[in-house]
Amino acid sequence: MTTNIDRFTFSTIAHAVRYALLAMAAAPLVATAADEDADVASLTQPTSSIEVGAENVSSKSAKFGEYNGLNKSGAAFIGNIDLRGGDAYQSFQGGMGTTRWQVRGTDLGTTSREIGGTVSSQGRWDLGVSYDQLRHNITDSYQTPFQGSLGGNSLTLPASFGVIDATDDGPVGSGTQGLTAGQIAAFHAVDVYTERKNTSFNAGYRLDRQWNFEFAFNHLDQSGAKLISVSMSPDALGNGAGEKTATLMNPTNYRTDTFELAANWIGERAHLRASYYASLFKDGYHSLSWSNPYIDSGGATPTGTITGNFPLNVFATTPDNSVHQLNLSGGYEFTSATRLVGGLSYSRNTQNISFIDDPLLTSALPSGSLNGLVITKHADLKLTNQTSKDLLLSAGVKYNERDNQTPSNVFDSFASIAGDPWGPVANAPVSNKKLQVELDGSYRIDKKQTLRLSYAYDDVKRWCNNALANNFQSSDVLTNVPNYYTTTACVQSPQSRENKLAANYRLKAGQGVNFTAGYSYAKRRADFNTSYYNPMQTSAEGLQNFGFVPYFDASRRDQIVKSGLNWQANDRFNLGLTGRFIDTKYDSTLGVQKGHGLALNLDAAYNYAAGGVVSAYLSGQRRQRDLLSSADKSPLVAPGNLWSNHLDEDSNTLGITAKHRGLMGGRLDLTGDLSYSLSKTTYSTQLQDPTQCTDINCGDLPVIKNEVLRLKFTGVYHVDKASKVALSGLYQKLKSDDYYYSAYQLGYTDVTVLPTNQLAPNHSVTAAGISYIYSFR
Amino acid sequence: MESFTRVVQAAALACGLALATTAFAVEPQSGAKAPVQSSGDAVCTRCHDESESKPILAIYQTKHGVRGDSRTPGCQSCHGASENHLRDKALPVDVVFGDRKSETRAQDDACLKCHKGGKRTRWDGGQHQANDVACTSCHVVHAPTDKVTYKKTQAEVCFTCHQEQRADVQKVSAHPIDAGKMVCSDCHNTHGSAGPKLLKMNTVMETCFTCHAEKRGPFLWEHQPVTEDCTNCHTPHGSNITPLLKSRAPFLCDECHDGPHDSPNAYGPGAAVGRQGSGGGYGDRSAAGRACMNCHSMIHGSNSPSGAFLHR
Repeated sequence: MTTNIDRFTFSTIAHAVRYALLAMAAAPLVATAADEDADVASLTQPTSSIEVGAENVSSKSAKFGEYNGLNKSGAAFIGNIDLRGGDAYQSFQGGMGTTRWQVRGTDLGTTSREIGGTVSSQGRWDLGVSYDQLRHNITDSYQTPFQGSLGGNSLTLPASFGVIDATDDGPVGSGTQGLTAGQIAAFHAVDVYTERKNTSFNAGYRLDRQWNFEFAFNHLDQSGAKLISVSMSPDALGNGAGEKTATLMNPTNYRTDTFELAANWIGERAHLRASYYASLFKDGYHSLSWSNPYIDSGGATPTGTITGNFPLNVFATTPDNSVHQLNLSGGYEFTSATRLVGGLSYSRNTQNISFIDDPLLTSALPSGSLNGLVITKHADLKLTNQTSKDLLLSAGVKYNERDNQTPSNVFDSFASIAGDPWGPVANAPVSNKKLQVELDGSYRIDKKQTLRLSYAYDDVKRWCNNALANNFQSSDVLTNVPNYYTTTACVQSPQSRENKLAANYRLKAGQGVNFTAGYSYAKRRADFNTSYYNPMQTSAEGLQNFGFVPYFDASRRDQIVKSGLNWQANDRFNLGLTGRFIDTKYDSTLGVQKGHGLALNLDAAYNYAAGGVVSAYLSGQRRQRDLLSSADKSPLVAPGNLWSNHLDEDSNTLGITAKHRGLMGGRLDLTGDLSYSLSKTTYSTQLQDPTQCTDINCGDLPVIKNEVLRLKFTGVYHVDKASKVALSGLYQKLKSDDYYYSAYQLGYTDVTVLPTNQLAPNHSVTAAGISYIYSFR
Repeated sequence: MESFTRVVQAAALACGLALATTAFAVEPQSGAKAPVQSSGDAVCTRCHDESESKPILAIYQTKHGVRGDSRTPGCQSCHGASENHLRDKALPVDVVFGDRKSETRAQDDACLKCHKGGKRTRWDGGQHQANDVACTSCHVVHAPTDKVTYKKTQAEVCFTCHQEQRADVQKVSAHPIDAGKMVCSDCHNTHGSAGPKLLKMNTVMETCFTCHAEKRGPFLWEHQPVTEDCTNCHTPHGSNITPLLKSRAPFLCDECHDGPHDSPNAYGPGAAVGRQGSGGGYGDRSAAGRACMNCHSMIHGSNSPSGAFLHR
């Protein structure tokens, strides 16, 4: 018995110890395997995350919060989510599922929020929905005496506001400089912004290996307002002379629905895509009306009185329009070395909104609406060949046409511009077409060197395809400016042709050094219609001075030199330098004469440790433009009337980014980002006859200077595998010197400009936040 | 007694297992690695496993790792059969992606043999292809997140090469790229396009109208340069002159107008800047502030019968 008991005791304990030891010995092995599996899972399984927190913005600034939604001071909610799943993620474990879904939301606590979801069965179908909001904060220093909400289309002044008696070039203290205390008191601040809300849906279906179909829909809802200036003439008493202005809130009450339906076919050697695209734009308003408080007594006692409310002025807001476009594109592979791709597009753009009833127009309108129609055509074809792996050749042709088939009619204008006679004007529906031919060859000289040569030819034609617009001229033209022009045409440059040659060289010099250099030369020859007359202008206003050509029409010669050097010293250090110089000369007696541009960029990155990298860049840009013009509206420009304007712009940008992961035993990741940008624009106007020079017509304008400093910092502390705490900070300072704003200050010297008291968007704002991030699989 | 023995043995086994299962409790994915080793990728993943410094296995989180999709490639579909590498690990695989690796054409062909048509229709002969840019210059295939496909991170990929645009978006007037609300691919199709500058639509105008449909018209009164190319006046990546203008009015307008109304006039600081309270012609509404656009504000076109001068 004892023996039995002993044997039992021994046997049982021996088994127990044996199993326990076995299990304990196996545990580390299993744990190691589990660690490996955890590593594998972290690579092959999706990680979802939810981030919640709060941030504080130190002060109010529309410019700081222009697009990021942080325009108000105080607390804001931080919310981001990224949830993923589906059996498609089981592939590494041997799963054959194809379903994948994701819900993603960013910046949920601001007016820049975005949230969307997708679900798909890969290889078969996919669906997606999203909502994207963006508030564009335009200004928080705008003031107006007009009553009416942001986004509304009626802006009125109370009858008690009183008139503003403003005469052009009136004396100091008159007009808008002489607003009464009551008028000044009527000014109130409005934060002006526009808001876009995009709601999207997309779907795809794959029928088989060759066919698939796509559908995308987007609804864009816009609200709020932008600022716009308006002229108020004739004045409130009906007197025609003078230009009185005010800056108003122009509502953006828009809806745009966009659809695209596409069918794709892919064969062994060919592929095709046929699609239908539509964009339907609707404006919730047709017009904006506002009270006109101006009278122009010319310094004498007003010749009339305003009884009751102010007369309303009105302009047409942007009209509803639609585009329907058919597209076909595809490619064919003759051989593995020779391929042809191309496309065709045809679209109809229509607009037929009823014209607004403008009380200033007393004559009957020639039509109730525009019946506008623009047909756009596009074709392109490109053949590429790489028979030898050292030589790549391509030849392409493109054609684009905008054929404006809108009818032309004659409308009565009213005397809105001082000194110009009243007269009829004709709308000029302009059309253009562009043919481009491109030849390109890239030859690999050896394993290190490649030379690419290309040639391009552009042929642009412009016309007014309506005889009325093309031949219309005011009967006043020849009367007012004898012998100026004898016939007219509504397009100044009916045709231009440009030839362009380019050469690019690439060298892989070894030791991680890559070098590129390129040069291009382009020459544009434009034909001119010496009888050009803009039919949208009355009297001599439709005429340009002899020899003057708009820069985009003008004959010109364009040269570009560019070069780049990149040195990958080792796996840790990279250095790059690129530069580009542009020289453009215009062949115009008057107009833009020449322009230059220079850009230099220096980039460096250094991986100083396994988890640490610091990178920096410096960019410098300079741009100049010279303009020659004439103050004399005459067939023969007197040299003494010539004046020039010189534009000089400098921009320098510096950026430094540092990232370090794995501090504090792998728990802390830090990222810092510093950027600094300084841009300066100057204008200088000079007269050919310096004896005529005054502060009004010549001299250097103040520098338009904008200096932006921004420091971003993020620290993420990994509490455990699932939890992180993030600290973030953003400091931004903008110092803006811009003479633009002086024009709208109360007391400004043009007595016909109603002030808004807008200020340059200077700010110094800090946003600091803390958030908790939970990650899980 | 025998029963008692079995109970004690079972208890010992349970204790041992309980200790062992603490390891299983950490991650419930035990043994999950085995199945893929029997797939075609096993020849690669036996060596290139989770210990690689680059996250090779993360491709199983991407569309390229979904085995249930018959189109899904294996390692050798893209990297080639690589028989030399299988014989001698010191030798590279047939197609090595990335800079200074296999020839760009060979890298791209590995992608384009599946990714035909669609947005890539015009890749051949396009600016990026002609300048030796490879698919993997922008895309990361093995990582679970391809930075270039996400709004918040796409621009930093593009700015690696496009440094002038990186500087432009930091200017005082810019599209909301820096705020992550707009991306380069909203306007550009980097895989090749029929439009200029790799724009995703056929022309500059069509591209801009995808967001700015209110400027599309056609208007009763058109402004010719507006009907041809928005970049006649605007510089889309950023400007020192708000809103994204190439120059400040009236000098911007002077580049195309010398005859109508005040356009022949020369303006110095006294007219363009003006001063508070000063008389004698200081400050001119045609030159200061919005300058010409103080009156001619419907610069993109007007549909008002009385708007011939683009001021209604």
